[in-house]
Amino acid sequence: MKRIHLIISIALLLSLSFAACNKTPDITDDMLDGEKIFDPSLYDSAKYLVSVAIENPTTAQINTPVLIAAHGYSATTYEWDDFRTYADAKGGLLISQVLLGGHGRTYDDFKNSSWKDWSISIIDEYNALRAKGYNNINFVGSSTACPLVIQLIKDGTIAKGGMQNILMVDPIVVPSDKMLTLVGLIGPMLGYLETNMTEEEEGHWYHFRPQETLKELMKLIDLTRKDLENSVYLPTGTKVKVYKSIHDPTADAVSAVMIFKGLKNRDNSKIDILMLESDKHVITRLNGRETVSNHDREIQKQVFDDMYKILTK
Amino acid sequence: MMRKILFFGLLLFAFIGLHAQADSSAVNREIKAGIRIQKTQKLYWENGFTIDYTCSKLWDKRIHLGLSYVSSRLGSAIASNAIKQDNYIFSAAYHFRRNKSFQPIARLNAGYFYADYEDPIFNELDNSSLLVSIDAGVYYQFDFPLTIGLSAGYNLSSGNGESGPGSLYPIFYQMSLFYTVFKQ
Repeated sequence: MKRIHLIISIALLLSLSFAACNKTPDITDDMLDGEKIFDPSLYDSAKYLVSVAIENPTTAQINTPVLIAAHGYSATTYEWDDFRTYADAKGGLLISQVLLGGHGRTYDDFKNSSWKDWSISIIDEYNALRAKGYNNINFVGSSTACPLVIQLIKDGTIAKGGMQNILMVDPIVVPSDKMLTLVGLIGPMLGYLETNMTEEEEGHWYHFRPQETLKELMKLIDLTRKDLENSVYLPTGTKVKVYKSIHDPTADAVSAVMIFKGLKNRDNSKIDILMLESDKHVITRLNGRETVSNHDREIQKQVFDDMYKILTK
Repeated sequence: MMRKILFFGLLLFAFIGLHAQADSSAVNREIKAGIRIQKTQKLYWENGFTIDYTCSKLWDKRIHLGLSYVSSRLGSAIASNAIKQDNYIFSAAYHFRRNKSFQPIARLNAGYFYADYEDPIFNELDNSSLLVSIDAGVYYQFDFPLTIGLSAGYNLSSGNGESGPGSLYPIFYQMSLFYTVFKQ
């Protein structure tokens, strides 16, 4: 009798697991996940990529600081629109807003992408700018774009003289939600995670996050953490500044501690860090959020002013 | 807080010691000491020391009391940039099949966690916390005075980004190796 009970229990558990595995999200047209293309960088790349916009750069343009701005996991180029608006008003800075590989397309495209695919668009734009002779290339990344650029430093893609400044906003090495560490185990049972967003955010972030991409994210940040434990050295001439929210609900602030300890200047001196009294993840993007306080706007301006000063000095 | 826990631990073991001297003829006691190797899921190796005490008055040796110290200082942080963090743990375990070599166990742990971020720039971040965790596993008692324990546990007090130390993760695995230093 006991054995029959055990067999029934196992069969029930297995059928539940398979049912969960077969789950497909209910995607609608107003979601980034669907067939409709939302991200304008996919059909109007000249507006987003300096390498495409300026076919034959002049000497003055070549000497102008160019900023490659990369967004985080499941986001799109929209994440850096706030800064583009700020910088365009000030002038003196060219911005390439790159759409990470696998992102901005359909749910299945995203699901089938690896973290290495995500960084391809950063590498492509960096190489294209170098080929055109730009000599003041800089990078800003939010959240997942930061471990991606750390990997590009580690593997030598960004080498000596390649970048002047690397700015990181809320880099993720440690997730705030520690359940992400179990994605390998529970991910196949869940299939995907659904997120709550504002109406405006719907077209710019994936509504459904496939467990396969969450596994890739975990793989990337785990690898980066281990690399930082063994030290990652910046190329000569490249400086780093990290901006980190203290109460970040997505990327735990201890990520900044790990980067501070593990990412080093060539001369072993420490990188620059600014800890922000904020509870927002990626404070540099306030457009489309449900609630934005004056304090948030002040911090965003503080970060933008600092970034602009670093990039244009 | 750390001082309080250490004080509490010392008090407990002083009580156990006095108790042992005062009533040694009637009670069977067992003290084991050894090393503990702990791996946190997707984070550090944290190793250290552990002491286990039981006696016939503790539900006929079904209940075991323990004190442990594990730290990344003795694990991942050796010659690396890993965060130096310490766990001071008091535990109470229930041992099933107490007279057999192979004993399944269930354990409740409480203690104190501290992470050293090393630079004043991180003073605003939470770096300490009360520890509350549960774990379950098996102990195997050899015919000679060695015992090996394997368990997996869940930390109820891990950091969530908004509060709590960020390097305090929920899932951990342990291996403890004990030498029986006293058995009556």
